[in-house]
Amino acid sequence: MASTSFWSSLKEEARRNYIAVFEQEWPTWLAGIFLAIVALLIFLWQGPWGVAAGYRNLGDWIVYGAGGGGDRPFSPWLHPIALTNTGLVVGALVSAMLSRQFKIHRAPPLEYAKSLIGGVFMGAGAVLAAGCNVGGFYTAAAMFDMGGLAMMAGLIAGAWIGLRYLLWEMEHLQQKGVEQRPSNDAWVKIQPYLGGTVLILVIAAFYGYSLLDKTDLGGLLFFGLLIGLIMHRSRFCFVRAFRCPFMTGDAEMVKVVAMSLMIYGMGTAVIKWAWIQEPSMGVTHNFWIGSLFGGVIFGIGMLLAGGCASSTLWRIGEGQTKMVLTLLAFALTNSALASFLKNHDLYDKMGQGLFIPDTLTWYVTVPSFLLFFVFWAFVAIWNEKSEKFVVF
Amino acid sequence: MDLQSIEPYSILDARGLTCPMPLLKTKKTLKDVPIGEILEIWGTDPGSKNDIPHFGAKKGNAFLGFVDDDEGYTRYFIRKG
Repeated sequence: MASTSFWSSLKEEARRNYIAVFEQEWPTWLAGIFLAIVALLIFLWQGPWGVAAGYRNLGDWIVYGAGGGGDRPFSPWLHPIALTNTGLVVGALVSAMLSRQFKIHRAPPLEYAKSLIGGVFMGAGAVLAAGCNVGGFYTAAAMFDMGGLAMMAGLIAGAWIGLRYLLWEMEHLQQKGVEQRPSNDAWVKIQPYLGGTVLILVIAAFYGYSLLDKTDLGGLLFFGLLIGLIMHRSRFCFVRAFRCPFMTGDAEMVKVVAMSLMIYGMGTAVIKWAWIQEPSMGVTHNFWIGSLFGGVIFGIGMLLAGGCASSTLWRIGEGQTKMVLTLLAFALTNSALASFLKNHDLYDKMGQGLFIPDTLTWYVTVPSFLLFFVFWAFVAIWNEKSEKFVVF
Repeated sequence: MDLQSIEPYSILDARGLTCPMPLLKTKKTLKDVPIGEILEIWGTDPGSKNDIPHFGAKKGNAFLGFVDDDEGYTRYFIRKG
């Protein structure tokens, strides 16, 4: 009897935890903490977390595969950021299936067009800024590269411009809703088993990389999976931090991103100040011309596409078909523009990394960094009440 | 309140649209709804299940709830305040 009681208790506890983790949405503040921790683990494991370089690798392969010439691109299975990105998509897919939410979503034609154009803008902006909303802003800021803050200013401006366009579009372009196919009951029931199978395959892939003496790459695939899981369960979207203060006044994501950056930045300060990693690591962004104007262009693109570099990936994982166009347009534009700028010696004119502690010292940089993001959060909270920056 | 029996003042069809369009259109459409009347929104974006209730309960408006329709979309109800 005792054994039956133990197993039934275990089963009941497992069921309740499954519901808490995979059926109820995670609060975004919790996801912000988890994201900062995983980003710090990636920094300790290999180097600063980025996303755009993985898109470029995909774009390079498409160009190469289509006979565009040039050197054979780096294998995506050995490319650290392409692997993290793959993990992110698969992590979101696993999360969507375990929560029985995977579904092919169709969109109206105008939305597909905007996804494509948004991808072009983001691909171009990420070349100029030497990174996307993750590598160029979130990680760059946490690495104490001034380019991260310049891109942040650009993203705010770009989000404002992009939102003005969306308002114009609502007034002038009509689009009807698109009917979606209801989910088949059998398909919904089988999803957790499929999701669990994919999860086991990713864990097996980690051990596979280890057997090939490439544990570092297997780890990056796994970290990407964790990020996809965190982002999908909380619907974590950097775009909301830049868009919502102008759209509804909502300050929630500004508070979450600011808090996440404070954790990420303080962790980085410990790692760099103690020389666990080289202090100049990750200070490679194009401050200030490339970061600022790249941020503006990227910000417009993420409003048009309805997703940034990271949320494009996790939305593909949950079945958003239009984001596949964003992925392809981002990848191809990024690859083509990077080649063009480098071939014409223009890339170096975009600026260079500026490590803030080299100018202000660690003693001034750390409190200034914290105060800056606290200030951003308080401006957003004030705006939520006053609606000073809300555009309609 | 029985959501199925609500007779809305107007219906916003946002099926197939993704963040931020359902919320943006909800905000715009709600401006034209008289105080005390109900706006019904049809949506398919999973993010709307968080965004629309959050927005619908602000500025004196009341979010009445949502129901998942058999046809694969969700119906949201906001009473203008």
